[in-house]
Amino acid sequence: MKNIDQQFLDNLIKDQSFINWVKKSNRNDIQYWNSWISKNPEQIETIELAKSIVLGIRFKETVIDEKKIDKELQKALSSIHLKSKPTKSIYNYKKALLPYSIAATILIIIGLFLGLQQYNTNTTTVHKTSYGEIINLTLPDGTSVVLNGNSTISYDKENSRDINLIGEAYFKVKPIPSTKAKFWVTTNDLKIEVYGTQFHVNTRDEKTDVVLDEGSIHLVLDNGISTKMIPGEFVSFSKSTENITHKKVNLQVPYSLWRDGTYIFNNLTLKEVMKNMEYTYGISTNFETKELEQKLISGGIPNKNLKICLAAIEKSANVNIIQTNNTLTITNNN
Amino acid sequence: MEISTEKSLWYLFIEGDLNAFSCLFKHFYPMLYNYGLKISGNTELTEDSLQSFFVYLHEHRHTIGKVSNIKAYLFISYRRNLLNNLKKERKYTTYNDSSILESNFSLSIEELSTKQETFKLKSAILLKLLNSLSAREREAIYLKYYSNLNTKEIAEVMDITYQSVLNTLQKAFIRLRSKSESSLIQNILNS
Repeated sequence: MKNIDQQFLDNLIKDQSFINWVKKSNRNDIQYWNSWISKNPEQIETIELAKSIVLGIRFKETVIDEKKIDKELQKALSSIHLKSKPTKSIYNYKKALLPYSIAATILIIIGLFLGLQQYNTNTTTVHKTSYGEIINLTLPDGTSVVLNGNSTISYDKENSRDINLIGEAYFKVKPIPSTKAKFWVTTNDLKIEVYGTQFHVNTRDEKTDVVLDEGSIHLVLDNGISTKMIPGEFVSFSKSTENITHKKVNLQVPYSLWRDGTYIFNNLTLKEVMKNMEYTYGISTNFETKELEQKLISGGIPNKNLKICLAAIEKSANVNIIQTNNTLTITNNN
Repeated sequence: MEISTEKSLWYLFIEGDLNAFSCLFKHFYPMLYNYGLKISGNTELTEDSLQSFFVYLHEHRHTIGKVSNIKAYLFISYRRNLLNNLKKERKYTTYNDSSILESNFSLSIEELSTKQETFKLKSAILLKLLNSLSAREREAIYLKYYSNLNTKEIAEVMDITYQSVLNTLQKAFIRLRSKSESSLIQNILNS
């Protein structure tokens, strides 16, 4: 190893320009390193060694049968259920009695928005995303918000703990134990009152669905009724029809995790999945047959790019999707 | 899977979300399985330990501290878990970690891609060269090029310093290079 300059070697294998030279992927880098080497012939051994470390050994990816993974997963899930069912419900119940130490995950699906709330440009702060755009925000009080595509939040500069939402967002509310300051999210259909918790709000369908995983929250519905939720409960409310559903669900409800660029679907029908896409990208969908709407999808679908997203849906539902302008036509894949 | 997706899945998993658990399971199962198989050389033991590892993770999720790198964390804890299982299995003998690893971690010809850029050798010859390296060198190579861990992550997984990962890789490649040269020369002489 006597001709090897260790420090230099370590720097080389981390250097993107050097890696580009090795992989012949950038003309400037190729020129640069070729000329560098001709000027520094004494370093040739280090260069060659670094090159071989960058290229490395190529392995084939060993594929494990998906059925086998599913089988193993089911096995793991059933032992988890055996072990955790009784203790877990007690744990959650106790937690529900402690309103100040709550950590809630709420899933809300609320109606098509009926025009924007009025914004007063001087005192109101507005954040708006375009189709397909996801942004991360930190509000003045330390609460973080992830705003999905085609969504708007607004709040008064004086009080960032009172938020109006149109669209879909995920809130991580910072608790303020000293003053027990509440945090409100107001949508077209209802008001959510929290202390310090995490929850997910979606105002995109003509109703509001709320699912609470842990902790406790307060809902004030548009018709004046107020409801407290405990973990494992599901509340659905529609302003236009005034329908309320309040029931217990198991926590494996299907929902979408969009905020990091992936929708996670758990046995959702293609129709529901496409509705998500319509809101996020502002497109409309036609199904060739009724039965296509009922195809089930499970798994993660990248949602930052419509093309990739549609390709993933095509693959997992085994359908064809044809895009013409802003309309998608879904047909059987024969 | 993007890092940010991994992180939010992890967060939801810690919160007790079984959907997130399932996603993580499906995503990491293959790579952990292959890694475990390398260490143990035993499919049954690998399956069983991976099964109990994931259940254990879920059961103890509230005691898991802050995890900055989920993939590295899973590799580290699964490796530890598996080595403990192996020790129990062989409790009447006096194997330590390194002798367990030394006896296994051999690479097979099916795992090597036929397209090699660094060493333009027949797979069988390259395999022979690779398996003549020390188990530690093979493990570092496997983690780097098969599991796509970076140097820092490899150091954490193998429980050695950053510098010794670099040294291990360097030594391995110096030996591979000189051996591949001599085998090329031999080829020419024989033909």
